[in-house]
Amino acid sequence: MSMISEALVILRSIKPAGLLVFLAVLISLAAFPLVVESPYAHHIMILIFLSVIMGQSWNILGGYTGQYSVGHAAYFGTGAYTTMMLMQYQQVPPWFGMFAGAATAIAMALIIGSICFRLRGPYFVLASIAAAEILRLSALNTKELTNGAEGILATDIPPLKIGSLVVTDFLTKVPFYYTALVFALLIIAVTCIVQHSKLGFYFQAIREDQDAAHSLGINLNLHKNLSLAISAAFTSLAGSFYAVYIGFIDPTTVLSMDMSVQIVLICIIGGIGTIMGPVVGSLVLVPLSEALRSNLITQGLISAGLVSEESPVGAFLKENLAHAHVLIYGILVVVVILYMPEGVLGFVRNMVRARERSNS
Amino acid sequence: MAILELRHVSKFFGGLAANSDVSFALEEGMIKGLIGPNGAGKTTLFNCITGYYPTSRGEIFFKGNPITGLQPDRVCRLGMVRTWQKVRPLVKMSVLDNVMVGALCRTNSLSAAREIAMEQLRVVGLDPKSGFIAEGLPIGERKKLEMARVLATKPELLLLDEVMGGLNPAESEEIIQLILDIKQRGITQMVIEHDMKAIMRISDRIVVLNSGEKLAEGTPAEIVSNQEVVDAYLGESHA
Ligand SMILES: Nc1ncnc2c1ncn2[C@@H]1O[C@H](COP(=O)(O)OP(=O)(O)O)[C@@H](O)[C@H]1O
Ligand SMILES: [Mg+2]
Repeated sequence: MSMISEALVILRSIKPAGLLVFLAVLISLAAFPLVVESPYAHHIMILIFLSVIMGQSWNILGGYTGQYSVGHAAYFGTGAYTTMMLMQYQQVPPWFGMFAGAATAIAMALIIGSICFRLRGPYFVLASIAAAEILRLSALNTKELTNGAEGILATDIPPLKIGSLVVTDFLTKVPFYYTALVFALLIIAVTCIVQHSKLGFYFQAIREDQDAAHSLGINLNLHKNLSLAISAAFTSLAGSFYAVYIGFIDPTTVLSMDMSVQIVLICIIGGIGTIMGPVVGSLVLVPLSEALRSNLITQGLISAGLVSEESPVGAFLKENLAHAHVLIYGILVVVVILYMPEGVLGFVRNMVRARERSNS
Repeated sequence: MAILELRHVSKFFGGLAANSDVSFALEEGMIKGLIGPNGAGKTTLFNCITGYYPTSRGEIFFKGNPITGLQPDRVCRLGMVRTWQKVRPLVKMSVLDNVMVGALCRTNSLSAAREIAMEQLRVVGLDPKSGFIAEGLPIGERKKLEMARVLATKPELLLLDEVMGGLNPAESEEIIQLILDIKQRGITQMVIEHDMKAIMRISDRIVVLNSGEKLAEGTPAEIVSNQEVVDAYLGESHA
């Protein structure tokens, strides 16, 4: 009964204009692969969806509950390895494997949480990093199980069948596109539900002030672990998806601190603790890192005629900018953090508010 | 029956005895004043009673049951809740949401919690500000928010830690009326307060702490005429 009335309250709070925009975006996203055929465009969209899943999962723990885990590679890697090992060694199709991955990640989360949540603030951050590093080193050193540093290569993905009907054989990027889209929508929906529930109130109270929350009847351990479990389950889905999509995993990619930091950045850049934050962060970061990686900036400068390809400057940029993409990416991230402490979303919101104020 | 009973409660921080061998009982429906100079151990005693600190020695009973060692959330669910001397609003949340967090202690439904919260905001007179973000509230309203939030947990025993600290006389008077109203509703209260006039006016009984020890206990009239208390604490103001 109360569930229904809650749902009604949420539905009533949705504005028709917002709903229309949402539906329009949804339809465009669903139609995108039918209209645009470029596999590269599909690839970029898939990376954005994947980034939304990762960011939104972290957001539940970091953004809503205020527990800044910099060890989410642990759950990403757990999903990736569970799914990949089951697929390669046991012939379990990934759409079953990913549930096993999520279950394993939840178990992992409860172990890591029971240890790390004893700590607060920067100590929690350090403990979360350490936990993920332990997992990475374990994966490196249990060669019989994980194939160690050589990683695991997916040989072939079994086709998805219902009865004898082949739904998809995963030969193009299109089935991956829709899978990632559905996962992204699912985690966004979960975040919406959490935000409009008792759980969301309790998570945010813990973020704002743990001691106050504790004194008001909130079981800190229970709720931090719940938040982490939800977060870890969806992070592991992202990991499972990544493993099958890329077709190769090793400890230095899926279990690395780079991965953990990348997950946090999606939220910090976009804006933490809001539903749109990770979406905005993904829309900024994925194209940016792709542009830098494929040296689009130099190509742009050259084709715009600003630098000639033969000139020493052009040659230098062409030679070095691609290698320096991590550096530039890092600098840009620092700039955003310095000048937009509430993320791009918060920055835009403040700009709009300032304009409204100066107009009125 | 005593709603709260302390038996030989001590709390040590290293070598410092912030509370030492404190015993008293609190009768249902009463207002108990807790006074003493700065650093006497009043806040520490609240921290021990509500489970925020583990006690070093002694036992605490709430409604006849031992609660020594229980965590603050369990204590709150049992019906005892405290405010913080240094207020702790959930700054990024709205005034209403702050109070709803308290109300959710007794219900799982957001709409029920919203109703309870609005009711308590009306009680403290903060209902016109329900949509404000807590961060922007001035100190007087923060204290009221703190009160509304604990009231929303439907407590049987309220521990108020200097809820009049930093308020002007008019604001203090509002809080005094609020405390008397709460008493009318049958909620037992223990009140830490520095304003002697106020505490003498509202308390049924008073406990005096000094250097962590219970110095005296009695009615306000007994306390002001207690020579030891006058010497140790009331000296200047009541001489
Ligand atoms: N967490 C703590 N660690 C160490 N000492 C503390 C702690 N909390 C309080 N104290 C000390 O205990 C004594 C009593 O403090 P407190 O209970 O805050 O006094 P009051 O509330 O009566 O002013 C003080 O000397 C204070 O410094
Ligand atoms: Mg104090």
